[in-house]
Amino acid sequence: MASVALKSFTALRRSTSDPPHFTTQPLTLPHQQQRFRVSASRTSPKLSNRNLRVAVIGGGPAGGSAAETLAKNGIETYLIERKLDNCKPCGGAIPLCMVGEFDLPLDIIDRKVTKMKMISPSNIAVDIGQTLKPHEYIGMVRREVLDAYLRERAEKNGASVINGLFLKMDFPRNNKEPYVLYYTEYDNKKGGMGEKRRLEVDAVIGADGANSRVAKSINAGDYDYAIAFQERVRIPDEKMIYYENLAEMYVGDDVSPDFYGWVFPKCDHVAVGTGTVTHKGDIKKFQLATRKRAKDKILGGKIIRVEAHPIPEHPRPRRLSGRVALVGDAAGYVTKCSGEGIYFAAKSGRMCAEAIVEGSEQGKRMIDEGDLRKYLEKWDKTYWPTYKVLDVLQKVFYRSNPAREAFVEMCADEYVQKMTFDSYLYKKVVPGNPLDDLKLAVNTIGSLVRANALRKEMEKLRV
Amino acid sequence: MSISIALLSLSSPPSTLLPKTHFFFTHKPTLSLTSTRPSFFTFRASAADNGAGVSAPAATVEEPKVPEAPEGSVGSNGAVEPEEVMVLTKFGDPKWINGTWDLKQFQKDGQTNWDAVIDAEVRRRKWLEDNPESSSNDDPVVFDTSIIPWWAWMKRFHLPEAELLNGRAAMIGFFMAYLVDSLTGVGLVDQMGNFFCKTLLFVAVVGVLLIRKNEDIETVKKLLDETTFYDKQWQATWQDETSGGNKKE
Repeated sequence: MASVALKSFTALRRSTSDPPHFTTQPLTLPHQQQRFRVSASRTSPKLSNRNLRVAVIGGGPAGGSAAETLAKNGIETYLIERKLDNCKPCGGAIPLCMVGEFDLPLDIIDRKVTKMKMISPSNIAVDIGQTLKPHEYIGMVRREVLDAYLRERAEKNGASVINGLFLKMDFPRNNKEPYVLYYTEYDNKKGGMGEKRRLEVDAVIGADGANSRVAKSINAGDYDYAIAFQERVRIPDEKMIYYENLAEMYVGDDVSPDFYGWVFPKCDHVAVGTGTVTHKGDIKKFQLATRKRAKDKILGGKIIRVEAHPIPEHPRPRRLSGRVALVGDAAGYVTKCSGEGIYFAAKSGRMCAEAIVEGSEQGKRMIDEGDLRKYLEKWDKTYWPTYKVLDVLQKVFYRSNPAREAFVEMCADEYVQKMTFDSYLYKKVVPGNPLDDLKLAVNTIGSLVRANALRKEMEKLRV
Repeated sequence: MSISIALLSLSSPPSTLLPKTHFFFTHKPTLSLTSTRPSFFTFRASAADNGAGVSAPAATVEEPKVPEAPEGSVGSNGAVEPEEVMVLTKFGDPKWINGTWDLKQFQKDGQTNWDAVIDAEVRRRKWLEDNPESSSNDDPVVFDTSIIPWWAWMKRFHLPEAELLNGRAAMIGFFMAYLVDSLTGVGLVDQMGNFFCKTLLFVAVVGVLLIRKNEDIETVKKLLDETTFYDKQWQATWQDETSGGNKKE
């Protein structure tokens, strides 16, 4: 569909007469985007004696992959990152498809998780992962390693990496004027004041994370967010063997009222954490409960680092404005239920960059909002089913303890495991065998009914 | 009850609790004593973190445990031995073996007493909800509620509710039929042929099924909002094209 649109507007450019029914009025419905983009690109000026200049603000997975795609296609790219050695607090899990799609070298993956344990509120433990094929795994990475790799690759392809903190931007008055960015350049000097600098670019990609300044400057609006709290614990070697390639997920009201607690293995330690949207003030209590639930397995461990970070729960109301687009956490592309964000950040960065490359014809033309809207359309169309399914799962299975018990019970089923891993590792919602789906639906309802029935009996005991 | 009062008064110094429980309950398999040692220490550690929490679990411990003794003897006719209280922080039960309920101990007249199994699991979950404990690899919990056959669930949970709902439907049906008959003169058989009456019947049945408590009316209203909320948050970007302003969901 993208290529068809491309062909149609090149044809129009060559024609001399203006088709009368094409207007430059913004249209309200997305499916009419094609016409909008066509007319605007017809009036977009060809850039003389220079290439398109794009600034990518934020050098995480989103920024790094966006900068790489832009630079590879001949666009003058500036990647502005405030802390080049940032150890971002993060779960650090990447799906298998990311390794292939982004050509990641296997040495940045610290561990290959092939087994997961789900633990219910009443400590019913279910092992999942038997359906994984030998080459399938969930990769655990250190964010500082991954981010640095992607940035270096962008630099090798021609992007200029600037160590600076974005402050604000001036908006252009028309489609020809540039955006003026003001930032403080640190140039790798730690503790220094930095120098105020000014940069003129034609388009901006905001990849600066959950507390995005770019989002604030374009009035993108707010989102609900979860607080994720994590402690890195170095545990004795014999206990580390258990977590060799196994990650744990604890569910329960004690651990989190609307999310889950986790123990994820990292390079030489484990990360024990939890998160919540609705009860942020109680996060320390939830963390204590998580540590208590994992007590036997992390006994004797030493906490080496405590960290916390907001995680967006849904996209911001406005993800682009003019020639500024948001990607990654700044846009709010974190899934519900699992809280996964790294892959979607990198993919959205790449998709946005690709839309800019296409709209500007490898940097030869100025772009406009319509080209960036193409990225949003493509993104929503490709990943909306994934997000919706995970939202439904969260709504159904994270509501209450009986629902979580049912959830863990369901995870014991092999069909569920296969579907879950297939959709997680390859990021495609694949409809399975209808008969198995029906059996799964019946089993789900059965589990939920049983767990809720037990809960009703529990309430009777309380009284 | 005197047991609970005695233990409550000892709630502040946790170190004295262990010998005291040993004094009151004579049966104590040594295996369970050693396995609960680590959790005793963890209990002390968590007491240091949150001093107030020590007395709270000790207080709530007694509530489920004391009524359990008479309940145990009434519910499961086979086993009348007293319920064991191990250390106050770990769930223990003579019928709970190797992380699941030992169905052989729930026999009644040669058949498994599923009601007792359900009761036992309810007590276990209630206990763990009030006193969450560490999941351990040495004694993993592997109980699956689907081992209890579907008819046991039906008999215990579905049938009473079904009786209630059918009763309500019958009462509503009788009165509505009488009312419509007295207002329009159309008899019951002729009412069934009328489209409007059939609609009323459908609404009545759906109403009885969905609205079982007063709170359900609010719940049903909120449910529709909830299912479409996430979609609205995603569509917010596209709506901005016309409004031009901020749309905060």
